[in-house]
Amino acid sequence: MSQRKNDDWMGTPLPRKEDRRLLTGKGKYVSDIVIPGALHAVFVRSEYAHAKILSIDTSEAEELAGIERIYTGDQIKHLIKSMPQPIVQPALPAHYPTFWPLAVDKVTFHGEPVALVVARDKYVAEDAAELVFVDYEELEPVLDPEEALKPESAIIHEKDGTNEIFSMTFTGGDTEASQAENAAEVEKIFQNAPIVVKDRFKTHRTGVTPMEPRAILCDWDDSDGLLAYITTQRPHIDRLALSDILDISAEKVQVIAPRDQGGGFGVKAPFYRENIIIAHAARDLKQPVRWVESRYESLMNVGQERDQINDMEIAADLEGNMLALRNFGLADNGVGTTGVYWGFVMPFLGAIELPNGYKWPKADIRLKVATTNKACLTPSRAFGHFPTRFAIERCIDMVAHKIGMEPSTFRRRNLVADLPYTSITNEYFDSGDFLKVWDTLMEKANLPDFRVQQKNALSEGKYIGIGFGCGVELSGVASELFVPMENQPGYGAATVRLDPRGKVQVFGGDAPGGQGHETTTAQVVASEFGISPEDVIITTGNTGSTPFGSGSVGARMGSYFISAVAEACRELKTKIAKFLAHDLQLEASVEHFEFKNGEVVYLGDDSQRSSFMSIVERIIMFPINMPEGETGGLDATTFFEAAKPMICFNADCCVVEVSLETGDFKILKWITAEDVGNVINPLIVNGQMHGAIVQGISNTVFEEFVYDEKGQQLTADFEHYKMANAADVPNIDLNYATTPCPHTPLGTRGIGEGRPSSVPGALTNAVCDALKPFGIEITTLPLRPDAIWQKIQDATQ
Amino acid sequence: MAKVAIDINGRLFQEEVPERMLLVDFIRERAHLTGTHIGCTYEGVCGACTVHLDGEAVKSCMLLAAQADEHKITTVEGLAPDGELTPLQEAFKSEHGLQCGFCTAGILMNMTDFLKRYPNPSEQEIRKGLIGNLCRCTGYVHIINAVRKVVQENQLRKT
Repeated sequence: MSQRKNDDWMGTPLPRKEDRRLLTGKGKYVSDIVIPGALHAVFVRSEYAHAKILSIDTSEAEELAGIERIYTGDQIKHLIKSMPQPIVQPALPAHYPTFWPLAVDKVTFHGEPVALVVARDKYVAEDAAELVFVDYEELEPVLDPEEALKPESAIIHEKDGTNEIFSMTFTGGDTEASQAENAAEVEKIFQNAPIVVKDRFKTHRTGVTPMEPRAILCDWDDSDGLLAYITTQRPHIDRLALSDILDISAEKVQVIAPRDQGGGFGVKAPFYRENIIIAHAARDLKQPVRWVESRYESLMNVGQERDQINDMEIAADLEGNMLALRNFGLADNGVGTTGVYWGFVMPFLGAIELPNGYKWPKADIRLKVATTNKACLTPSRAFGHFPTRFAIERCIDMVAHKIGMEPSTFRRRNLVADLPYTSITNEYFDSGDFLKVWDTLMEKANLPDFRVQQKNALSEGKYIGIGFGCGVELSGVASELFVPMENQPGYGAATVRLDPRGKVQVFGGDAPGGQGHETTTAQVVASEFGISPEDVIITTGNTGSTPFGSGSVGARMGSYFISAVAEACRELKTKIAKFLAHDLQLEASVEHFEFKNGEVVYLGDDSQRSSFMSIVERIIMFPINMPEGETGGLDATTFFEAAKPMICFNADCCVVEVSLETGDFKILKWITAEDVGNVINPLIVNGQMHGAIVQGISNTVFEEFVYDEKGQQLTADFEHYKMANAADVPNIDLNYATTPCPHTPLGTRGIGEGRPSSVPGALTNAVCDALKPFGIEITTLPLRPDAIWQKIQDATQ
Repeated sequence: MAKVAIDINGRLFQEEVPERMLLVDFIRERAHLTGTHIGCTYEGVCGACTVHLDGEAVKSCMLLAAQADEHKITTVEGLAPDGELTPLQEAFKSEHGLQCGFCTAGILMNMTDFLKRYPNPSEQEIRKGLIGNLCRCTGYVHIINAVRKVVQENQLRKT
């Protein structure tokens, strides 16, 4: 871990400022916030995947005591604009479905909101929801993405006349002719290549559901407008979207994402239809209205991603050089009625990130995304590229097996050695040292030793295997990518405000969900000003007090937000130095002063100094006798935009033992190497890595959203949607091989978001390595004992 | 409606409640102690609502408030009544055993009871002891470290 000169707090494993309140039950999540008189809202949700709504009878429900109002789609469709609206629509050409918060005319997935009951008591609201009778006429559900694209398929969103919501070719330039030419060149390479592996790689529907489901509490005042507490990673986007859709002038909408949020992982990043109708109800009833999502609703509606087929081919030569990559992806979008992402934005980015950190001389990469009668894909950590990473990391091992080369050697040989580098899909890799990371991993993995152990184990009838994988991950999302992808800016924005007592308030418009922003930010501010992290507090997520931020997404903290914080501090230091030089009658500016131990010291003569507090107080409270052209006050807002997109890089190695009798396997070791740039707080970085890797393992092995042949969601509770518990997962040996990012003021990188993506490949590669005596190559997830056992049976018969 | 008298963290709550009211709702809405969380659909899987009933860890979403009548409940707010964190709370802080904090109360309540029953558990025993609590953020590694730290401190104190 690198330590910068004179920085007391950079790289320090400081226990978190957040922890005391969370450990004593004093955290305040959305569902803990009380507004007197708040009404409770419960949704009536579709029982069918695809059906016409013939009628909705709310009369019996309305008779229950304490019911305030029951809303249906027919009632609100003339009062609320339909989606999409520009603020939550990417600049990508697609068939964006039209929809309202409550289903109008027909339902398109099991769990879709059909009606909303608002009552004074939540138990009564639930009773009433059961008394809302909806008469449906079932339609043929569209459940398979390949079938969905056939001409004979039923169409889900009739206005589009197709179920193909999005398609794109990512290689060969922008014209059909150049893409066709590229495809022909790639085809030629495949025809002549000595080694070609082609297979179909399937990843199942899974994601990273957070422990706190969604919630919203809205209050309305005729003069002040709407106040909405929302579980969200993007309060500023939610504010603009609510303003646009509900026609409430923007200055009258305030959104607060509380500082305590029970995880997000992408699931709280979209703009959701439920929030529109709850805000509408608060305005309509002139009463606070609260909706707290049940886990059942959550698992039916959100946290589903990764559902994709990749038909992949790799061409290589006998020396182990990658020659060409071809991939036709087909993603199961679900219904597509979710603002900002619409389902397909994840597979879109997944295709861009598909080539990973390897040098591909040529590639032909295409994607189709099909609408189905399932919940819309929502972002899940490793946004979009869990499926493509699984495919490529698995396919690379299969190629290496065919060449007769160690998969790790094959990888290293083809990793990008010189950065910056622009990938075959035009993804820019700004900096880092992939080979250093890889070599750090290999040193810890000790492959030669393992191969001896493996041989010995085999002679005792034990099947152990080793698997590798790696990942180039986004470190924040530059405007260059963010504007077309989501119509949002990528910059980080922060306000740093000093007070006359020498304390610091920081304001940020993103909205964290447990990543330790309060602590990390305090460490950076304390390092910049030479004060204690205890003297720093941060406000996040409140659109009334924070500068615009696109949200806590894409590892923007360590890249963009913290850089804005550092630059705001430096702006204030320049002003402080100017005043101090003036007061001390020195010809000096900021580089001649050191900020440390609560003092500002002139480097030319350390008797010339001031306490940090007194010079700050002087500038804020005593704005007389000032340097020429200066004004009082110490408050700076900065917007940080890196010149180019930035990345981080990591690699995984895991060792497993597979039982031939049952197909079950045990993870014996998990070793990593990480380039996370300069580290602010190693405890927090370790925690991010552990969590991400276990999410990857849990997604690969345990979690799966299952729909039956009628489109009924069968896995809407934690009994059936199995998440890894503590006994299911291994310890993790984290190793760091860092290079400072040259494009951020502190050399930091944004980390953790993409981190799960290299896990499914590494883990499946290890199982296949253990079963190499049988030539077993697994290409379908989840990685379950029954499927492995079947493969063993097939191979041994 | 049912009349209940429930001692929560040493304060007696005498309330009239619907028979069907869950203990977790009583704790959150009548006693206004919101450190106890709801993370699943009252199916007892996530463990975020774990409290102590007469000193034993139970999931408060699996009990009715009426079942706690005349019983003593301790919630996470009652772990450190004088403001001094327990060794387990301290260890969660120093080992970074929590991120979003949503599951944390339940884990603290479960592990406080667990360590009373099993003062010297192995890592695998701690992992098994945690099966009733789901955590999405940490990957459990730092949680295990925190519990082990308390075990080690206790063993040192004994010798």
